[in-house]
Amino acid sequence: MRHVCRALNVTAAVSAAGFLVSTAVLAQSPASVAKTAPAAKVTEAKSWTPPRMADGHPDLQGVWSNATNIPLEKPADRPQGARAAAAPNRQADGQLAVHYDNSQFGLDRSHNKVAEDDRKWLVTTPDGRIPPLLPEAQQRVAARAAFTRDHQWDGPETRPLGERCIMWPNEGPPMLSEGYNSNLQIVQGPGYVAIEQEMIHDVRIIPTDGRAHLPGSVRQWFGNSVGHWEGDTLVIDTTNFTDKAAFQRASQDLHVIERITRVADDKIQYEFTVEDPHTWGQPWGGKAYWAKEDAQIYEYACHEGNYGMRNNLSAQRAMERKAAEEAAKKESK
Amino acid sequence: MRNQIAGTLFVLGLAALPAAAQTPYRAPRMADGHPNLNGIWQAMNTANWDLRPHAAGMGRVVALGSEDAMPPGLGVIADGDDIPYLPAAEAKRKQNYENRLKDDPEVKCYLPGVPRATYMPYPFQIVQSTKTIMFSYEYAGAVRVINMDKPTKSPADSWMGWSNGHWEGDTLVIDVTGFNEDTWFDRVGDYHSDSLHVVERYTPRSAETLTYEATIEDPKVFSRPWKISMPLYRHVEKNAQLLEFKCVEFVEELLYGPLRKHPRVNP
Repeated sequence: MRHVCRALNVTAAVSAAGFLVSTAVLAQSPASVAKTAPAAKVTEAKSWTPPRMADGHPDLQGVWSNATNIPLEKPADRPQGARAAAAPNRQADGQLAVHYDNSQFGLDRSHNKVAEDDRKWLVTTPDGRIPPLLPEAQQRVAARAAFTRDHQWDGPETRPLGERCIMWPNEGPPMLSEGYNSNLQIVQGPGYVAIEQEMIHDVRIIPTDGRAHLPGSVRQWFGNSVGHWEGDTLVIDTTNFTDKAAFQRASQDLHVIERITRVADDKIQYEFTVEDPHTWGQPWGGKAYWAKEDAQIYEYACHEGNYGMRNNLSAQRAMERKAAEEAAKKESK
Repeated sequence: MRNQIAGTLFVLGLAALPAAAQTPYRAPRMADGHPNLNGIWQAMNTANWDLRPHAAGMGRVVALGSEDAMPPGLGVIADGDDIPYLPAAEAKRKQNYENRLKDDPEVKCYLPGVPRATYMPYPFQIVQSTKTIMFSYEYAGAVRVINMDKPTKSPADSWMGWSNGHWEGDTLVIDVTGFNEDTWFDRVGDYHSDSLHVVERYTPRSAETLTYEATIEDPKVFSRPWKISMPLYRHVEKNAQLLEFKCVEFVEELLYGPLRKHPRVNP
């Protein structure tokens, strides 16, 4: 039932709360990784074997939660007290002085089923950090940021992708926790594994028949995914990205490899490796766990209820008109 | 060559038999014994323009010329040539028609609903398992996961509805409820209310075709249930696959263009 509540609330939360939280998930410091929802208790016994489909491959099907309270990478070192100084409106226990009822928007952590995982960050690099951006990528990112600073309210194309209801920030690939509605459903048919992410009802249908990637001239928001089985692990190889939806500021030459393994009845191990010669000096990756949910995915009709875009742009135009009127008044005095 | 001859003989053989004696097509099976409906399918008709029989017609956007002209079609209504609207609903349908360029949800890239998703001019893919069957549509990335287990009740109204399925012999029967009132059936304003109840039937009719039927019931809009029927065709191209058609970005100018800082002069 708690999922029903979330589904009913999502349209209200679409444009405002959504991206705040989904980016916040990655920005959390370990200090805030505390009172998590009950973790899925699992036994990762070596003898455990996955249930199998008729073709002999593991049965990964069901509804899974990839919610996590673990940050993607190790937080940057900061001098002691920097956090408190930077956020003076925060109380000592990390709660905002102003209290919003997060459960109203499905944002309360107790709503998320979280797989048991006692690591401090998801990235698997030796120092727990994403490799630094290459100079070429730094320039690209800086140019993009400068453009956004000057043009973010110009029109729909310069608004964030989530606000446009094109894709949610962490949908990937690699598929990381969305912050809310971090639910996925897997359905397997002969030669295909289909993964639906609840956020913006996005579906990836991964063929496992050994076919090649799409021609390089075809670029997609989610790239193009082909898969194969390595033992009991589904390996997905994705290329053909656009230069607009880059994961972690990558270029369109991003190459993502995901490895999905069911390690227990109620737990999937999700590993990813990313590489991009225009962004990082070396490949890097991470690992997350998904918890089995006894729930169903509901429709996240984002674009259909997108009042946020209209409101944001019209509010900005109104502010500009007001500023122009005031400037004209001053001039006439 | 041998296959061709065998195929010809087979066809001739069928033609020579009286209809009643023909063996119905028996589809390949899944491990669970049910017909295998997996594949990429598409309708090949003009139902998305108008469910009724219709002659070719002028398009809606002058600038698009013949690209937007309505292609002619024989219609897909199975039990007559018209839709049994209640009188008040017929008036609303006419109003929809007049405002179709502005009000058709397809123009705005909204989720298409059922049954319209099936006969839009885009492919869809069935990924069939035992307890769940996914219908993934190329248009707008629409999707439904059919629950083949114990039927569940719709938790909230939605664009694509709430789907419970079961098998009747070789036919996949899907009972769809829980619709909102925001989708249309075609581009000429045929519509429904939130009381819509659709029962779909997918029956294999050959290796590369399915028969699709949908019974449409909505006591607020129609005087009786009515039915559409059409074949669906398999995409047999070697590399057939759904591509992304996330149309949101193609309608942003239409929906938000006037709110730009610098509205375009000739968008």
